[in-house]
Amino acid sequence: MKKDKIIIALAGNANVGKSVIFNHLTGLHQHIGNWPGKTVEKAEGTLHFKGYMIDIIDLPGIYSLSTFSIEELISREYIAVENPDLVINVVDASVLERNLFFTLQLMELETPIVVALNQMDMAKKKGITIDHKKLEKILGVPVVPTVATNRTGIYDLIQTSVDAIEKGDRKPAKIRYGEEVETRIQKLSKMVSKLQLPYPARWVAIKLLEEDEQIKGRIRQPDPKILSAAKKLTKEIEKIHGHSCSTVITSERYEIAGCISREVQQIVPPTKPPTRERLHALTTHKILGYPIMATAILSVFFTIFSFGDYTSQLLSMLFKYFYSVYESLFGTEILATLIWGGIIEGLIAGITIALPYLIPFYLALYFLEDSGYLSRIAFLMDNLMHKIGLHGKAFIPVMLGYGCNVPACLGCRIMETERERLLATFVVTLVPCAATSVILLGLVGAYIGFQWALLLYIIDLLIIFVLGRIAFNILPGEPTGLIMEMHDYRTPHLKTIVKQTWFRLKEFIKMAFPLIILGSFIIKLVDVLGLLEPIANILSPVTVVWLGLPTITGITLIFGVLRKELTLLMLSTLFGTANFANVPGFGPREMIVFTLVAMLYIPCISTIAALVKEQGWKRALFITFFEIAFAIVVGGIAYRLLMLTGM
Amino acid sequence: MEKKLSELEPGEKAVIISIKPSPNYRHRHRHRWGFQKRLEDMGLTPGTRITVVRSAPFHGPIEIYVRGSRLAIGRGMAERILVRVEK
Repeated sequence: MKKDKIIIALAGNANVGKSVIFNHLTGLHQHIGNWPGKTVEKAEGTLHFKGYMIDIIDLPGIYSLSTFSIEELISREYIAVENPDLVINVVDASVLERNLFFTLQLMELETPIVVALNQMDMAKKKGITIDHKKLEKILGVPVVPTVATNRTGIYDLIQTSVDAIEKGDRKPAKIRYGEEVETRIQKLSKMVSKLQLPYPARWVAIKLLEEDEQIKGRIRQPDPKILSAAKKLTKEIEKIHGHSCSTVITSERYEIAGCISREVQQIVPPTKPPTRERLHALTTHKILGYPIMATAILSVFFTIFSFGDYTSQLLSMLFKYFYSVYESLFGTEILATLIWGGIIEGLIAGITIALPYLIPFYLALYFLEDSGYLSRIAFLMDNLMHKIGLHGKAFIPVMLGYGCNVPACLGCRIMETERERLLATFVVTLVPCAATSVILLGLVGAYIGFQWALLLYIIDLLIIFVLGRIAFNILPGEPTGLIMEMHDYRTPHLKTIVKQTWFRLKEFIKMAFPLIILGSFIIKLVDVLGLLEPIANILSPVTVVWLGLPTITGITLIFGVLRKELTLLMLSTLFGTANFANVPGFGPREMIVFTLVAMLYIPCISTIAALVKEQGWKRALFITFFEIAFAIVVGGIAYRLLMLTGM
Repeated sequence: MEKKLSELEPGEKAVIISIKPSPNYRHRHRHRWGFQKRLEDMGLTPGTRITVVRSAPFHGPIEIYVRGSRLAIGRGMAERILVRVEK
């Protein structure tokens, strides 16, 4: 049977060059989105090859097909249930044993596989030679050696894949476990095979013995007897081996992976330590590692923000010029103001704030991740980040938050489990961004004193610390420490990085811009309709009574949602002066309360958009409303404390 | 000699004996063995030989060499990995 549409999934460990292969195969025909209802990124692309239209799905990089993370669950559900025509398993030839452990699990899913034995060049540098023909024979699946970074073997890979599909169902070899385990698997799989399940019976049997909760759930309904049988067999194996059954199976699987890799590879380690090893030792050195890291991060920051600042200002100037043209053309009538202030201003906010920072940010993030330096930073900073309930990898997004919360939110995707991602995202939205720092320095710093600004900053850090800890304790799921592979340093593949940046950016624009524009339109509409003051009056129980602020600050706080740096500007417009020293009813106490609230309440609409993109509406709204409520509570308490001290 | 992984010095070799479940972990959660399973999936199964490469200062993570690759393991997890030191 010949069909002209084929679906191929790419699967493999993290950092094996999967995305490079994906980019070679799909070129510019990519679509980046999320898995339905999940916060996990889904990359899809198409390729035309020999009359076929091939849909390529890039599955998340994972180490196993258990249920540790949502990524693992998504991957195995996709492979088992959606049943792609073929899975290309991308394998890092230089770390064969660990990678084969994953390959074996794919084989157990009994899906047609082609193995891409990638990074052959790296393996060679490490003195590893692999007999890929032999590997092919042992695994019973085609193996294609590739060096994705220079396109070697990519054509072969897709040719072999299409051949394999055309030839029809070729099931991979069966993996045989030790006698005690094997007989019990067979016993159980015979029972399972009577059920109608989307998964292969043998795989279900293995997962039952591994006490996989999800599979147990699937079996409980049709046949609880199988569950009790599985439990009995599990206990038997535990008795024989003295370890939990899941441990025994994982152990044996790794044993098989080890045997195969020893069989097919020869290692002649290079005599003197290569540069990348020395670089690794240097960048993880207990003393030198830190100044190197500081220099690296500061220069990345400097690049992102000087580029961002410059471009942002340039664009603002450009738009200002446009505005004068616009004004002379359309005048300042209500409709014209509404269109400019609502729609175009929103667009400008998006273009001048988000984009200039996002482009260099994405480039830098992918560069750090791809080269391998990110994992070294995580290694050095793990302990510090543990204090706020996160681990080392969260350091980068949190640091970025000080510049702008938007890329920081998007950067949280480097966290591994959904729990960690949510936690990191939450913490990041609390970090005072550059615009917040401007308010802090421009108001408290300038009119009360630098030490007060510093104090507020420290209070904010304490709040982050406390809220981080609380969220850490109440979020469901098991807190996980750091378990991270530190792959060898390598030169990142620039083309892939640029493409990744481009497609993520496109996705962000599509997602965030409508939201930003809608937000600014609504606020402008309220303004044009003359509703701002009534709303400020409605808010006055909060602003005046609880926070002790002048009524009109309510308006500025609303505008602050659009862009935080607007808050100061609005304040001076409403007070009719840029000098806040002599505004009646807005003394030091009010300034401090105002700044605290502005620092803590939800960052800005672009950040909310980023939150929606990464975490979905529900969580984004929850975080937003929580932070608004929290800011108001803290502000009120601060107001009363300051009253007590007589300020 | 039995030790915790966290107690090993850089350069020491050892064989993994077992992984202790986390003590303060509340059992109402479904994935009771999540972290243990995770460590095992990363190749730290009983009987596996490992070499400690270095540990990060200030009680930071430990870098080990295992199954031809480098892993960083948080201190808290390393404290729950029981090993037998090899000469």
